[in-house]
Amino acid sequence: MKISEIVAKTGLESLNQFEDDEITGVYISDMVSDIITGAKAGNVLLTLQTHKSLIAAVNLVDVGMVVFVKGKKPAEDVLELATKASVPLFSTPLDTWPFAIKLADLGLR
Amino acid sequence: MSTCSHRWSMTDICSGYLVVEGCPHCGGRSSFFSTAPVPPIDEYREGAHYWEYLGSFQAVRFNLRCDQCERVVLLDDMMGLMLSTCDDPACKVGGLVRSSGRHTSVYVALCADTTHTTGKCVSDEGIAALSEYFNQNLKGGRKRIVVVPCKMCSRVDNCKGIVIADAGLTEFY
Repeated sequence: MKISEIVAKTGLESLNQFEDDEITGVYISDMVSDIITGAKAGNVLLTLQTHKSLIAAVNLVDVGMVVFVKGKKPAEDVLELATKASVPLFSTPLDTWPFAIKLADLGLR
Repeated sequence: MSTCSHRWSMTDICSGYLVVEGCPHCGGRSSFFSTAPVPPIDEYREGAHYWEYLGSFQAVRFNLRCDQCERVVLLDDMMGLMLSTCDDPACKVGGLVRSSGRHTSVYVALCADTTHTTGKCVSDEGIAALSEYFNQNLKGGRKRIVVVPCKMCSRVDNCKGIVIADAGLTEFY
């Protein structure tokens, strides 16, 4: 499923520019050490963390898009780093579980 | 020499703490990985050094195993990875960051002794396997990951970069 389709169907707020890449799965984590061992390229990552270390981790494993839950948004320097690394960032007011259900309803696992 | 075009997977994944220590006499830094339930904070003497606890981060360590030839590359000499943002003109890593394209990210593999007083660093075999592993898993052809050893930094403890570490998750604010 394309990023644009997920955005349209879940009401995500886009925080930076993105290429409309294909998303192939879901990963949920708030630990960067977990992300580099568990997340796969092309995953959408659901997280509460908004720091630079998260961007360094998701860039390394080529996560397809990051969704900050509970309305969280990163600082300007984090956005800058993500944009430079071509990591698409989004925000949702929903908590992790209700947003994960939305993604599951779209067929993403 | 191996003729296998390796297909690496992570193996022996182990969670624990990356404990960082410093010696006030020589200014040296040292780190080690601990699987203890609570990170050890003891101070101790080791030769000319007196190691003091500086901090700890939740971390993970792993090795790489080729699914095809079953070769295992041990990464027990690697303590972490850092996305380099170095802009030091005297630093080789900074030079690599500047000369790399927009879609290339340079990651520094950090060894236990970042001051390199022992002369050791992450092995060449480990660096090669890490580069192959992270690049083989990228989607599409835009992005490229370059992994370099921390001995390539002019002064790694002052190097600009973003360490992939879970800092502060076990502390109360």
